[in-house]
Amino acid sequence: MDIEEVKQKILEFMEKKAKSKSKVYLKDMQRAIPDAKPMLIKKAANELVKEGKLEYFSTGSTVMYSLPGQDLEKGMTQE
Amino acid sequence: MSEIKKHDTPMLEYLKQEAWPSFVDDIEQYGEKHKKQACFDLLGQLELSYKHKETHWKHGGIVGVFGYGGGVIGRYSDQQEKFPAIWAFHTVRVNQPASKFYHTAALRKLCEMWDNRGSGMTNMHGSTGDIILLGTTTEQLEPIFFDLTHQMKMDLGGSGSNLRTPACCVGKARCEWSCIDTQELCYDLTMTYQDELHRPAFPYKFKFKISGCPNDCVAAIARADFSIIGTWIDDIRIDQEAVKAYVGGELKPNAGAHSDRDWGPFDIQKEVIDLCPTQCMYWDGEKLHINNKECNRCMHCINVMPEALRPGTDTGATILMGAKAPILEGAQLSTVMVPFIRLEPPYDELKEIVENVWMFWMEEGKNRERLGELMQRVGLANFVETVKLKHIPQMVREPRSNPYVFWKEEEVPGGWKRDIKEFRKRHPA
Repeated sequence: MDIEEVKQKILEFMEKKAKSKSKVYLKDMQRAIPDAKPMLIKKAANELVKEGKLEYFSTGSTVMYSLPGQDLEKGMTQE
Repeated sequence: MSEIKKHDTPMLEYLKQEAWPSFVDDIEQYGEKHKKQACFDLLGQLELSYKHKETHWKHGGIVGVFGYGGGVIGRYSDQQEKFPAIWAFHTVRVNQPASKFYHTAALRKLCEMWDNRGSGMTNMHGSTGDIILLGTTTEQLEPIFFDLTHQMKMDLGGSGSNLRTPACCVGKARCEWSCIDTQELCYDLTMTYQDELHRPAFPYKFKFKISGCPNDCVAAIARADFSIIGTWIDDIRIDQEAVKAYVGGELKPNAGAHSDRDWGPFDIQKEVIDLCPTQCMYWDGEKLHINNKECNRCMHCINVMPEALRPGTDTGATILMGAKAPILEGAQLSTVMVPFIRLEPPYDELKEIVENVWMFWMEEGKNRERLGELMQRVGLANFVETVKLKHIPQMVREPRSNPYVFWKEEEVPGGWKRDIKEFRKRHPA
C-alpha cells in the first residue's frame, strides 16, 4: 500500500468517524487500516496535517487528530 | 498604557507571609514593573480556584505551530469575563540544551522575546527538562516559533504522544564519575529522532533520560521509558594512600558534604564496608579490598571516598526500560534490558534497540499505554523476545525469585514428552 492510498483511507475513516467522534487517536487509524504499517500511517497522517486536511488536537499529554472545523468546545476555536 | 486591575486575593496574600520566596511576590512584582494585566488575572483566577477548590483552566486544543504536533499546550480560562487577559494562556515548551548549559546572552534574548510576546513568566525547567514559557495567545505562536528558530537557534520540545525532549545529567562536562558522554548522546538522539519529537507517532509519551553514572542524577531509572545509565565493567580504581587518609581523618568523607555537624571520626567499617549492599568490600586495617565481581554499582563507597575510589575505565551503559509515574497504577522503576552496552557515536546498536522497541509499542500498545504498562501486560519474557533482545541471567534476581523466563519445549532436549514406561522402570510407583 503506498502513502497516497493510506492518506485516502485515513480521510475516509475520519469522515466516517466524524459522525460520532470529533477526534481520534493515531492508534484508531492504525486499527482501521490493518494492512498498512504503523509507521506509514503515522507519516501519512502527518502529511495530511501539513496539507491542511487534518488537524492536531493536543491535551499536552496526548495528541489526537480531527478534520478541520470538527473541533471543539465553543470559545476554543476562535480568538 | 492602560491601568492594570488588581484582584482581591486574601488567600494568596497568606502565601507571602513566610520567610521563603513566594511565587505570588514574584508574579506581582513582575506584573507591576511591566504593566502586565495577565499576571494579576492569573493570580485572581488562582485565588478563585483556591476558593472553589477546582481548576478554571480548560486544557488542550488545536493550537500549535504549522507542521508540529507538540511543543505548544493550549490553555484557556473558563472565567473569561472576570480575567480577560488570560483568556488564552498557552504554554510553550522549548528544547533545552543538553545538560542545561546556557550563555547569558541566550537567556537574555529568550527572556526579552518572552517579555514581548508572552506573559513574561517562565518555568526553568519543567520536569521533562524543557524550558517552559507560560502564557501566550494563539496569534503569537508562529512569531514565537520564528524568533526561536531563526534568532536563537532553539526549537520546540516534545509534548503529547511524541518523543519527549531527551534529557541528560551534566556528564563529562562537570562530573568526574561520568562513564559516558551524556551530552553527545542526548544531542545525537535529539537530532536523529526529530520526526518523532515533533510529529505524533506513538500511543502515548516516550522519554529518554541519560545519566552518566549509577548515581543517576536525572533519575532516569524512575522517570524514563528508556533509561540509559553509565556504568563500567572493569574494577573500581583504588588509591590505597587516599583510603588511609580518609581513615586517618585527613580527608573529609563525602567531600565534606555533611560537615555542618560533628558526626565523630570517620569509621570506614561502619560507614562504608557494612553499608555495601553486596558485602563485597573488606578493610584489613591497611588495605581496602573489593571483590568487583559482586559489586552492583550502588556508588556508595565512591560517593563517601571520592578521592580514594573511582569508577573503572572500561565504560559503557546499562539500558533499562519501562519507568513511569502514572496516576492509576502507581510508580514503576525501569527494568534492566541490556546490562552493558558500549556507547560510541553513531550509537547504531543503541538505535537498533530503540527502533525495535518503538515498532513493537506502536503495533501492540493501547491508547495512552506507556511502555512499562505494555511490558507488564505482555509479560517480560515475551517483551524481551519481541524486541529482539536475549534473556540473560542478570534479569533474574536469584533462582526462583522472579522466574518470568520459562523454558520452551523446543529449547529442551527431548521436549516435554517422556516415555512413562521407561520412567517407571527407574521410579516404581
